[in-house]
Amino acid sequence: MYQKYKDRAAFFVVYIEEAHPTDGWEMPSNLKQHILVASAKTFGERDATADTCVVRLGIHVPALVDDMQDSTERAYTAWPDRLYVIDRSGRVAYKSRAGPYGFHPAEMAKVLQRLVPPSRAAQGPPAYPRR
Amino acid sequence: MRILFKCAVVLFAVYIALLAGLYWAMRQPPSVFGRIMSKLPAVTFWVFPFEPMWLTARKGNLKVGEMAPDFALKTKDCSAIVRLSSLRGKEPVVLIFGSYT
Repeated sequence: MYQKYKDRAAFFVVYIEEAHPTDGWEMPSNLKQHILVASAKTFGERDATADTCVVRLGIHVPALVDDMQDSTERAYTAWPDRLYVIDRSGRVAYKSRAGPYGFHPAEMAKVLQRLVPPSRAAQGPPAYPRR
Repeated sequence: MRILFKCAVVLFAVYIALLAGLYWAMRQPPSVFGRIMSKLPAVTFWVFPFEPMWLTARKGNLKVGEMAPDFALKTKDCSAIVRLSSLRGKEPVVLIFGSYT
């Protein structure tokens, strides 16, 4: 989806507070996949985990890191995961329901599709030759 | 019979109290909720309607059509600060919130 729309919309991963850290609500699936992360005490720690996350999961979308007051997470009720589309005027055009249950990229893509101009490939060649 | 009925009433009251407690926990900051959940048995997911409760508790105040709260966040490599409002008028913005675990 990022590859399809990246020229027509700005994409950001916002790395927020860990959902299942080792010192919190750890999940059996974390243990199975050896994804063991303690909750960050400093911004440096949080930034380092964000880096590991992006590299290991092969994420190409530019990543931003929430501050240690979790201000962005709180403003967007984002934890543990959530999707938003903001339109050109700065208004919320799409807000997914709270993750993990409400995290549906396909649902978001429908809204995004309406907001972006059609891609050059989709427009096809001009109907008549231009001078 | 009477005792059975009394037991049922008590059990129901306990269930409702636990339900209210869980909903309260869901409304707490994530780290507090996480700490509470880490102490509860996995059966919590099955005994309570976890999903609808979660979706309601985490609805949030922000609505479609409202101005998105501005933020200024560092990029992961700390090379720049991205301010949401600086993108206004340019192109739509997609925000994908999440963490590693």
